[in-house]
Amino acid sequence: MNFLRILIRFLWVGLVCLACFWIAPKAWAFCGFYVAKADASLYNQASQVAIARNGNQTVLTMANDYQGEVKDFAIVVPVPVVLQEEQVQIADPVIIQRLDAFSAPRLVEYFDPDPCTPVVFDAFPVPQAASESSGVRRDREDEALGVTVEAQFTVGEYDILILSARESSGLETWLIDNGYRIPQGARDLLHPYIRQGMKFFVAKVNLEEYETSGYQSLRPLKMMYESPRFMLPIRLGMVNAESAQDLIVYILSPEGQAEVTNYRTVKVPSDTEIPLFVQDEFNDFYKAMFTTAYDREGQNVALMEYAWDMAGCDPCSADPLTPDELRQAGVFWLTPDRPMNVFITRLHIRYTRDRFPEDLMFQQTRNREFFQGRYILRHHFTGEPTCEAGQQYQRSLPQRFEQEAQTLARLTGWNIQDIRDKLPQIQSRYLPWWQQFWVGLFGE
Amino acid sequence: MLFKDARIYQILFLCLFLVLGIGTRDWTLHPGMIGVAIVTCLVVQWGMLLVISHGSWVNTKEHEPKDEGQKTNNTKQRTKDKGAFISLLSALITALGLSLLLRTDHYSTIALASALAILSKFLLRVQGKHIFNPANFGIIAALTLTHDAWVSPGQWGESSWYALLFLGTGGLVLKRVGRWDTTIAFLVAYAGLEAVRNVWLGWTWDVWLHRLMSGSLLLFALFMITDPRTIPNARIGRLIWAGAIAIFAFILRNYFFVPTAVFWALFALAPLSILLDILFPATRFGWVAPDYATDEVMNRGTDVTSTLGEQDAHPTITGFNA
Repeated sequence: MNFLRILIRFLWVGLVCLACFWIAPKAWAFCGFYVAKADASLYNQASQVAIARNGNQTVLTMANDYQGEVKDFAIVVPVPVVLQEEQVQIADPVIIQRLDAFSAPRLVEYFDPDPCTPVVFDAFPVPQAASESSGVRRDREDEALGVTVEAQFTVGEYDILILSARESSGLETWLIDNGYRIPQGARDLLHPYIRQGMKFFVAKVNLEEYETSGYQSLRPLKMMYESPRFMLPIRLGMVNAESAQDLIVYILSPEGQAEVTNYRTVKVPSDTEIPLFVQDEFNDFYKAMFTTAYDREGQNVALMEYAWDMAGCDPCSADPLTPDELRQAGVFWLTPDRPMNVFITRLHIRYTRDRFPEDLMFQQTRNREFFQGRYILRHHFTGEPTCEAGQQYQRSLPQRFEQEAQTLARLTGWNIQDIRDKLPQIQSRYLPWWQQFWVGLFGE
Repeated sequence: MLFKDARIYQILFLCLFLVLGIGTRDWTLHPGMIGVAIVTCLVVQWGMLLVISHGSWVNTKEHEPKDEGQKTNNTKQRTKDKGAFISLLSALITALGLSLLLRTDHYSTIALASALAILSKFLLRVQGKHIFNPANFGIIAALTLTHDAWVSPGQWGESSWYALLFLGTGGLVLKRVGRWDTTIAFLVAYAGLEAVRNVWLGWTWDVWLHRLMSGSLLLFALFMITDPRTIPNARIGRLIWAGAIAIFAFILRNYFFVPTAVFWALFALAPLSILLDILFPATRFGWVAPDYATDEVMNRGTDVTSTLGEQDAHPTITGFNA
């Protein structure tokens, strides 16, 4: 009879598990309290691009981490179509910061309960929302060079030209003649874009407008267009690049996750328990971990750091964007019926000329699986053990710390001995497995 | 005897790719999805065989070969059982191919794709030959009929190690099947077009190489368009067919920016093989090895699978599907 009862119980448990697995294969919830984030400010030369796309309609916002003299700033970006004045706007820099903060990899913490207190199952803790840290001239000459100024206008602090060209040498000459400093070797890279029928979005700073705007740095540029091309041209940016460049792309879609189609899209390591001291050096940890993952994957992948429905987050590293903020980020498909139908994918691409020969091509998928770069701190119970379970818990701690240390060493490539030195002092009470065996057998 | 069937190799290789993909390529593929695909494909295949063997669709006797009377009933029954079992191999290949390529969040979608893939073999036929590559049909059906399926063309990356693996294993299967000409024709045509484009655009050659080293493209060229049961029977037909798919895929990818161009190209041009078979008649392919019912199978040429009824003994096979 007993055997039957146990069998029935097992069957019930099995059925319940199967039902969970079948009905909601992705319904597990992340929880824990958010304590720190690794946002784009970690990287010196990080460009950030937000792309809101539905069908072929695209709103692309570019935020450049430009460090030099404002008067020297100029960008040349291949664009798929001619853009008119009403298709280009200035974006509020806060919006990119909000997207960054919302999707940044995060550190969360848990506190072990007193092992001697009876376990009471309670609802999951509600994640705390963290505070935020956070004129066409010389027509004849132009014609001779094969360059046509398709549109010319000023938006905010930028003077913008939309150029089309017949030959790269003509375009290069035109740009130099018009005061743009073109790096050596740019001509060869301009050529393929001209042949593909792409136009050139050329922006430089209008100093008068900039001074009257009162901003301390250049604001992001936002462009709206319709094209089946879902790509980001990165090759022009690599002409003179000596080191790897970081690009963070936020893709906002009504469907689901976005991915790169001509390189692999790989998730960053996540959901791992790491030692408590990392809280004080989370930025160093994330940079080292990212570099290790990037190297391990062959340095030619897009690393996914976040994928989530923007209606919520768990835990939140920043408050979700409001419908108004989403509209400012370029989301144009929101309706009163579906005010939050936005799925965000954050891709972090570290690219170099030799590993990324092609521009980045993207696609939106219907994959609505959630993912976040999330690292867990588990605070151990520090009170005195008052029962056998408590003593057992304390004896298990050194092993747990060692496991966390090894995880950290594997993720970051840091020296394991340096990590061990920073572990909690309870390490001295660690019993090797054979001693634990004897203790388990005969008691202390 | 079993290992004389090229499908066994194909199944082993596809399993290997699945294990490698899940283990090393960070796929969002849940084991449950593979299970659902396999079970659905096998059940639907078995079900359709049962329906057919009961003679409800086709009167098999009309198509029995003349020498059939020389066999004993036992021999016929044994051959039939073997055929039914062997035909499940092709369903398994379809399931593995779908698992490798199709991604979805819901079990119902992979089940639908699997069922339609197998059904397409039985229902969409011209002169006893199925029109579409089953896995390709399943993928296109899922992409168009459901709202939660997608294909990840970048899932293999462009690693030369994987390129060699696919070329090696694909070459092994193609050598047994004798359909390497299709792959060569496709790759040469596609690589040639990309090379011309590369020169015209002025990209450096690493761009060309990067585009051709795509693991997904190689898997498609080696394991999907080579399905011997859906491609034209004559070599000249196969060369034209593979070339046409390469041209169409090239146009879809570079001028319409469709990331999954190859699958759409194969789907759209699959019916062309019927026309090519009429223009260039030749012996139809059979999977079965010479010492296994070949007297009846291989030598009967185009009659081998001319009816659904005969499929029991000499099953129609899917070919991959990657």
